[in-house]
Amino acid sequence: MQKQLKEGYQTFKSIFIGMAITLRHLFQPSVTIQYPDVRVELPPGVRSKLYVNIDDCIGCLLCARACPVNCIDIETVKATSDVDLGKTSTGNPKRLWVTQFDIDMSKCMYCDLCVYPCPTNCIYMVPEYEYSEFDRKNLIFEFSNLSPEKVTEVKDKLEKENEEKNRQKELAQQKKDQEKKDQETDTDTDAGKAGE
Amino acid sequence: MTNQITANIHETKEMTINMGPQHPSTHGVLRLEVVLNGEVVTRVHPHIGYLHRCFEKYAEAMDDYSKVIPYTDRIDYVSAMNQEHGYVIAVEKLLQLEVPERVEYVRVILAELQRIASHLLGIGTFGLDLGAFTPFLYCFIEREKILTIFEKISGARLLYNYICVGGLMRDVPDSFKPETADFVKTFRPKIKELNDLLSYNQIFIDRTANIGVLPAEVALNYAASGPMLRGSGVSWDLRKNDPYSIYDRFEFDIPVGTGEVGTVGDCWDRYMVRVREMEQSLVIIEQALEQMPDEGNVMEAVPKRIRMKEGEIYVRTETPRGELGYYIISDKSSSPFRVKVRAPSFVNLSILPAISRGALLSDLVAIVGSIDIVLGEVDR
Repeated sequence: MQKQLKEGYQTFKSIFIGMAITLRHLFQPSVTIQYPDVRVELPPGVRSKLYVNIDDCIGCLLCARACPVNCIDIETVKATSDVDLGKTSTGNPKRLWVTQFDIDMSKCMYCDLCVYPCPTNCIYMVPEYEYSEFDRKNLIFEFSNLSPEKVTEVKDKLEKENEEKNRQKELAQQKKDQEKKDQETDTDTDAGKAGE
Repeated sequence: MTNQITANIHETKEMTINMGPQHPSTHGVLRLEVVLNGEVVTRVHPHIGYLHRCFEKYAEAMDDYSKVIPYTDRIDYVSAMNQEHGYVIAVEKLLQLEVPERVEYVRVILAELQRIASHLLGIGTFGLDLGAFTPFLYCFIEREKILTIFEKISGARLLYNYICVGGLMRDVPDSFKPETADFVKTFRPKIKELNDLLSYNQIFIDRTANIGVLPAEVALNYAASGPMLRGSGVSWDLRKNDPYSIYDRFEFDIPVGTGEVGTVGDCWDRYMVRVREMEQSLVIIEQALEQMPDEGNVMEAVPKRIRMKEGEIYVRTETPRGELGYYIISDKSSSPFRVKVRAPSFVNLSILPAISRGALLSDLVAIVGSIDIVLGEVDR
């Protein structure tokens, strides 16, 4: 009986202690933020969306290789000898057309591992977090600024150049072979003559 | 005695019910198959695997040791920094890599902050399971402060990928030291407030004292670790008993369960060990902040390419939930041959059937809450 009374007293006491604490909290400034109206300022270096400055990309594929989830898809085409792609802002010469640079943000795990290996610092995180979509396909961000026509043109050009090169190579090879043959026949005839 | 009386009242006929996997107080996706006799639990069978993500196989498939680190974050998403810390220590030991002083101090401070954040969540949800909603909110206010510190240094709130092999991904900002010191100062009175509000609340004590008693012997036989083991009165903390990193430089106590309001090893003891551990973490942070060198390049020892020799290693670290072990076998290739994780939650959860026998169904919620499991870690 006494124990029950004591416990009852303790219960009431702890209720009042708790209420006093919550009352104190009631008069403290609120910690919640009315989100769409008020936004928290994100600290520098926050990781929320990948961005690629495609003008600086040299197509080295280091970011794609560093990605643990393979969310970066890059396709490059070698520039033909008559085109000069110029240099990046960091001074690296560009030798490849970046025909495709897709980042699938639905796969990305925001680990930041692609940012560090980039030699021209052209891939980085930007503090943008409101990019939800109804369709998952819309989360694939395409950064390449080449039009499809340009891509086919570039590819055709490279193919032609390669063909040209191959033909020249073949011609050179044939020439070499011919020379070899000629020499051989020469030496043969020479040997024949010597035999006579 | 009281248990027996209630048992007699509530006993009727055996039946099997499911608790979870979508039950709010199973802390994730845990399915408990409970055999009840009236309201008294006669048998509990935990079904796990709903959150299995093949971490170990993934680790083997990665072609770089550092690519595994973001995955270790996701083992226990509540204490990601501790998970990274353990894995990185294991890889560094395999590589026989020396880490700069400053990096070690930053890592320890972060690990202890993460421990506080994790315990705040554990305590908050434990109270929530038992119907105490307000402490949960107050815990989350404090936790948010820690997450803000983490966001400033790493750029992410929960899954950091901040500790890398040989150092840190980026240097800590100048504001890190004063902000952490400020947090330590403001957090001390909050622990007292939490004690008044929840720990010594008579209703809370009635719900947790003498419930789910785990004797020290049973805890040791089941290889329990962390607050689960310490709650039973066994003083075992890897930071002290097998110091890793630079924990041997700090002075702190290991809080153990004393049976203050009930029996040694009951739910309240396990809860209280966590509260006291937060205080000890603050002590460690204070010392570390004092000793931490201000200058130093954190990227100094980071290897450009990890070249591994053949070997194997087991490294255990103390996470908020207990002993986290990484067993790594390496060959000459760039990816680990095998990574085995000894997850503390998984081992601690295996005790549940042993300690919940004879408890009421509503007490089962308290027991599950006091184990403080994270299902991501149980299933991996």
